[in-house]
Amino acid sequence: MRTSNVTYLVKKGISSVWKNLLMSFASFSILMVSLLLVGCSVLLMMNVNTIMKNIENTNEITIYLEEGVTDKQLEHIRSVLDKNDDITEVTYHSKEQALEDFRNNMAEYSELLDYLDENPMPEAFLVRVNDLTKIRHVVDTINSIEGVEKTKAPYDFASILIEIRNTFSLIAGAVLLALVVVSIVIVSNTIRTSVFARRNEISIMRYVGATSGFIKTPFFVEGMFIGILAGAASWGLTWLVYDSVTSLFSADLTLWQMFGFFGLIPFDDIMWIVLAVNCCAGALLGAVGTVFSTGKYLKV
Amino acid sequence: MVELKNVNVHYSSGVDALQDVNLRINDGEFVFIVGGSGAGKSTLVKLMTREITPTSGRVFVNGYNLAKVKGNKIAKFRRSIGMVFQDFRLIQELNVYENVAFVLRIADQSTRFIKQRVPYVLNLVDLAHKARSKPKELSGGEQQRVAIARALANDPGLIIADEPTGNIDPRLSYEIVELLKDINRSAGTTIIMVTHEHDLVKHFGGRIINIQDGSITFDDNIGGSDEDE
Repeated sequence: MRTSNVTYLVKKGISSVWKNLLMSFASFSILMVSLLLVGCSVLLMMNVNTIMKNIENTNEITIYLEEGVTDKQLEHIRSVLDKNDDITEVTYHSKEQALEDFRNNMAEYSELLDYLDENPMPEAFLVRVNDLTKIRHVVDTINSIEGVEKTKAPYDFASILIEIRNTFSLIAGAVLLALVVVSIVIVSNTIRTSVFARRNEISIMRYVGATSGFIKTPFFVEGMFIGILAGAASWGLTWLVYDSVTSLFSADLTLWQMFGFFGLIPFDDIMWIVLAVNCCAGALLGAVGTVFSTGKYLKV
Repeated sequence: MVELKNVNVHYSSGVDALQDVNLRINDGEFVFIVGGSGAGKSTLVKLMTREITPTSGRVFVNGYNLAKVKGNKIAKFRRSIGMVFQDFRLIQELNVYENVAFVLRIADQSTRFIKQRVPYVLNLVDLAHKARSKPKELSGGEQQRVAIARALANDPGLIIADEPTGNIDPRLSYEIVELLKDINRSAGTTIIMVTHEHDLVKHFGGRIINIQDGSITFDDNIGGSDEDE
């Protein structure tokens, strides 16, 4: 198709937005709110993931070794831990180091340790896992190694975190799905109104030899244009909301740090990605809504 | 050329709209198709414009076997013919110029060609001075002339006019048919005009095809009264 005729169809689609202003505005509003909620959910998810990652990185399994473990056994345990892909960090704590740590942590009772004839602290390895969901599996593997006395792992902590993340993902997914369906239905209705308003023109177009693509293109342009406008507007609103939330949180950073919170992702870092995603999502929702209305109500 | 071979059209309602119709219209002919209400004229037009396909038999128009034409080829076929309707079917929001240009856009013509072609066809129907008028600002006869200009825009070899004088006053009806006759004579365009106005047919004469109860009952040339004058 010639560029001039493509331009003509695009203009026709955009002018239809103004001619059909009330329905277009309804679609725009619903899409904008949907995309705002979608954008906020995605940003929240990104931040929750970052927080989770930070918290996960603080997880630690302590592996106490048997009394009198030989150097050979110690090397064997270390090599097994090093080879385990789920373990990201391995630190050895000798008996002396453990006693020193105890002394530092319990400074007020440190002189009591002077009365000990021998060092009662066990040798230990401290390891970190890269994925909290695998913590139980990693501990089981470690416990089966010869020379390991016992292990101490933050099971409850891990399971709470996993639970929080799964629940959040589930709720966010359900909300997003519902919003997507509502948006598509609304856009579809707007385009259907537009098809109805132009039914006479469409029938004439059929008689004078318009292809299906020629007839449908302006409706796609209309749906996608509304979607892109809504995407851009929701981006602006997301920015406002996100900025307010960021300033609210940063006002009491100490409190949040107690929960492993190290600050939200700055909006400046992601603003263009959010704009692109919002506009693309808006255009996609507009196009899908148009497919439903033109497929069902525009037999050409 | 238009050719129908042993065409039958049976509607799901049980009506036999056309029965064993055989018809051939050569290039450059001007043909009146006449018949009463429900005789099968509209079904014949729908067959020739590929709105419907026959229950049996074959329909050829402008080299297209219409039973086999599908999808975007239907659109391409329709661009090879011009259509004129009783109710004009102009787009009310567009002016005269845009209504004609619209067809050329659909045919994917360049803007330069459109700017040359539209004034030319509007001149042929003597409406160049009304190019910026909206259809509602025109009389019935003028609106039908716009529809004829639109049908001429793609320079089709065949124009099918379905009751083109049905919505205009009798005096203007003669002008419309005269215009179609002029187009037929000057450009050699085949014209099929469906009408139920016998006075008009008697006046102009030529090849007349009469349809009654879905069958062709008369197909011959008659002399028109305008020739006697």
